[in-house]
Amino acid sequence: MKYAIRLKITYDYPSAVNDARHLLRVRPRDGDGQTLQKMAVAIAPRPGEHAREVDFFGNGVDAIAFFAPQTELSVVMEATVTVERPPAPLAVTPGLGAVADDAFLTREAEGASPLHHLGPSRRIGPLPALAAYVAETFETERRPAGEAVMALTKRIRADFAYEPGSTSVGTSVAEAFAERRGVCQDFSHVMIAGLRANGIPARYVSGFLRTEPPKGQPRLEGADAMHAWVDAWLGEDIGWVGFDPTNGILAGDDHIVVAVGRDYSDALPIAGAFVTAGPQATDHFVDVVPVP
Amino acid sequence: MRMPVPTQTDFLRRYAALAAKGRDEMIAPDGKVRPHYAPLMAKLRAMPEAELARRFASSRQYLSEAGVFHQVYGEGSEQSHDWPLGHPALLIDRAEWAELSAGLVQRAGFLETLLADLYGERRVVADGVLPGILLGRNPEFLRPLADQAKLGVPLLSFIAIDLGRGPDGRWWVLGDRTQAPSGAGFALENRVATSKAFPDVSRALNIERLAGFFRKFREMLFSLGGPERARIGLLTPGPHNETYYEHAYLARYLGLLLLEGGDLVVHDDRAEVRTVDGFQPIHVLWRRLDADFCDPLELFGGSRIGTPGLARAVRSGALTLVNALGSGILETPALLAFQKPLARALIGEDLKLPTIATWWCGQEKIRRFVEENAARLQLGPAFPGAPHFPVMGETAARPGTGGTRVPASTREGVTLVGQEIAALSTTPVWGKKGLEPRPVTLRAFLMRDEDGWHVMPGGFARVADSRDARVISMQRGGGSIDVWIGSETTAKPVTLLGQNGDRFARRLPGALPARAADNLFWLGRYAERGEVAARLLRLHAGRAGEGWSEGELETRIATILEDYGVEIDGGHPERGLLALARQAADTASRIRERFSPDAWRTLKDVVALILEAIAEKDEDVVGLTSAVLTHLSGFAGLAHENMYQFTGWRFMQCGRALERGQATAAAVSALLSGEPPAGALEALLTFTDSSVTYRRRYSVDLSAETVVDLAVLDPLNPRSLAFQVNTLAEVTSALPGVHLGETPDLLFRRLARLKVRLQTADAGEVDTAFLDRIVGDLALISDRLTQIYLLSSPRAAAEWSGGPE
Repeated sequence: MKYAIRLKITYDYPSAVNDARHLLRVRPRDGDGQTLQKMAVAIAPRPGEHAREVDFFGNGVDAIAFFAPQTELSVVMEATVTVERPPAPLAVTPGLGAVADDAFLTREAEGASPLHHLGPSRRIGPLPALAAYVAETFETERRPAGEAVMALTKRIRADFAYEPGSTSVGTSVAEAFAERRGVCQDFSHVMIAGLRANGIPARYVSGFLRTEPPKGQPRLEGADAMHAWVDAWLGEDIGWVGFDPTNGILAGDDHIVVAVGRDYSDALPIAGAFVTAGPQATDHFVDVVPVP
Repeated sequence: MRMPVPTQTDFLRRYAALAAKGRDEMIAPDGKVRPHYAPLMAKLRAMPEAELARRFASSRQYLSEAGVFHQVYGEGSEQSHDWPLGHPALLIDRAEWAELSAGLVQRAGFLETLLADLYGERRVVADGVLPGILLGRNPEFLRPLADQAKLGVPLLSFIAIDLGRGPDGRWWVLGDRTQAPSGAGFALENRVATSKAFPDVSRALNIERLAGFFRKFREMLFSLGGPERARIGLLTPGPHNETYYEHAYLARYLGLLLLEGGDLVVHDDRAEVRTVDGFQPIHVLWRRLDADFCDPLELFGGSRIGTPGLARAVRSGALTLVNALGSGILETPALLAFQKPLARALIGEDLKLPTIATWWCGQEKIRRFVEENAARLQLGPAFPGAPHFPVMGETAARPGTGGTRVPASTREGVTLVGQEIAALSTTPVWGKKGLEPRPVTLRAFLMRDEDGWHVMPGGFARVADSRDARVISMQRGGGSIDVWIGSETTAKPVTLLGQNGDRFARRLPGALPARAADNLFWLGRYAERGEVAARLLRLHAGRAGEGWSEGELETRIATILEDYGVEIDGGHPERGLLALARQAADTASRIRERFSPDAWRTLKDVVALILEAIAEKDEDVVGLTSAVLTHLSGFAGLAHENMYQFTGWRFMQCGRALERGQATAAAVSALLSGEPPAGALEALLTFTDSSVTYRRRYSVDLSAETVVDLAVLDPLNPRSLAFQVNTLAEVTSALPGVHLGETPDLLFRRLARLKVRLQTADAGEVDTAFLDRIVGDLALISDRLTQIYLLSSPRAAAEWSGGPE
């Protein structure tokens, strides 16, 4: 499937900000079922500095800085991306125990290695009740890992209420799990924490969803903004597979990956540090349209 | 810590009996004094009790005068404590030290190679020497710097290694300190203080000096910075850190700029210091701030003490940190379990120094071993970041006795190690009943230059506060002692001043960081504010003491005092004064490296004086304020006489002149407005400390005009308003960026106008409106000065608040 994607992020600062520095992770990734045809990022006002980099996890980063006072910031990313992601053969994946052992013994230490996604990270710590919830869903260590993780994806979709506004970017895994509600970021963090506690490598994925569903299918949650889901590592042969706990499905041709990392802190679309005395207002807009 | 007077008779025999239980540094197993301790003991034995007491006191006095202290965290807020230095020093035999040094140098080289591999090829993981999970789960593996070894700059240049002597007599490595090791500055201070107490003894024993090590270190820092020998910074977390004193001390000793994250800004991948003279480049920072806090954009986003973009500057190669960001990974306790294979793989030989036996519970066979031997091991975190392992003594709690349980699976075991419980040797320390054996650990320091690694000939020794200590920690009442290595030849004095080979050139101090200037400016203001309040309070209390009944004049003085936060009516005006004194002392404590210790102590003394008066319910306000004024003028004198009269000093003068000018204008306006109450003129003369001058200049009765003339317009009276304005004009004209021939800034235009107005005014024109306008002008000048020079941007970090849905 081929998509035209447009992302627009705006900030308004009622009192001007100074010395702003930002890291943007807004460019769709190339590879793993995605092919980039065109991509452009426009930033206004014009940054004093702008460097393009690739981070440890292979995400494209735009590092920008402003030295003059500014009252607004706008980032527009436009891309054309083809997605062909055949569903992973979940039933023939190795058992959960075997996947955990494989991950643990990996000698590969680069960004895509499962080693970086087994332990706690900034936003994900140990939570025994959640570990038990996931272990109970898994049933047995011998169960094919793909099937077990899919069962967890569906269970989160069933047990948790999707309630935009009920949580914020600061909501902890413990809160979201205790209240069984939140948005895609909370569901993803809950799932990642639970998988890691059971030895399955899991990482956070930030990206886009197709805005309008194909005829006859329901509209997916999270399509109006940037979306988040989970990659689980299912052994050397299959590697990383995307699961979307917000919608209870595999991440397929409707999902466009932008950035991956240990949790939201590694993959957030825009991080910033600046000097300001006042508040800020922000808005973002996403449009993902199939094109011939 | 008060040193009791020891009894001299047979103190060695008594000590030998006490020390007989285990390995002792001074007493050999046969009960005799080891040869390298014999000269020291002979000297100590010859000293009468009173002399020893005097010597201990002189070292205490030095430490207190130098202002050495350490912060203790705990209930509520942190507190500064006196520095607990014990005597005598730990003596290490020369031959033994040479052997130990060789082991330490080898270890430093090993650590350096390991770090370069972890932030480079990561071969130890690929080859299966080190379980990859110890990297993947390590909070000190900093991914934004994952490939930094490829930059080719040294990642480690200054490290510490903690050692303890085992029952077998060998020194064992207890842990490595590679993130931002503390203690080197304290080792220096311990040395100075110990030498104050025993100058003859340390000379007679030919103790190796420390200055040569630090000189090498400083040379190395400058050579990292390149040929232009640009300024080098010491990056500190700030005054609230436990070892801030040490940062300030070392910055002063080594001539480094003491910088906080907010002092730095990154432009085009280059780090620059925000100074009163604009942005100045900096290439090398001795980092004493934990890596994760250094850059809120790429590392810990919640850090408010970092510099956005710092990691970029490091990656670009324009900024070198000593040590590299992420070097804390070497402090991972689990690494101690893989020493042998790591050393073989990385340096091709075995390590000379043994490390404390450590087992990582992430492997099933080992986990089971730890389980079976739980009774003789202690459990601790496998990764750094968790509170540091305390060094345990013989009676440490065993895993079974309420501590952490041995994990049932390797999955949980990943985060735990079992370690042998270190039985530490004891060293003699003078305690309540003479010499007592105390468990001791030694922190050795190493630095690296082009010639390789060098060991500091000495170190920082910690001693427990009791024989059976479980934990050696300064936080829990332990102390420290100096470390002496005897040398073969008479030690030549080496000092960082006037080294051979350095060509002497008088150079102006480098640019002043805006934050330091801001603190100096406010220190000037606060110190003067305290003085003004003390003067007014003394005036008020003095009149009450002379039997004047509460009248209009007293009410007017009390009203001015209220503006300073000093409440007369509550009956505790000294509390308001205390708050002002604390503001001054706190501000001074933020820039201690720019002060003489004497000046800093004067401010601390003012706080102590007021606290004492409050504690003793002393109601002699006149006596208290007089004492406070004496101290504050002592401070002003020290600042004036002893501070280098350059940019920093100018900002302090500006602060003082602005505050004094505003206070004088406000006091004249308040006391003489409308119908001045009886005694107002005398009061004003007393307040401006001008009674004597008045009598010499005007041999007439007091009149409003003559008093106003003296307090406001007289340019020769150092307390007059005109004098403050003239001082401001003079001092600001020498500030950076002021150039003749350019259109002057509003700051200077306003000052010039004010100066002329005061020069040309007639005492008769000086009324409330005139004075109020001057107060307004001074406020504007203060704001403008702050805007141009002092605005040190407080940083706000923000993440995208919208978030994904």
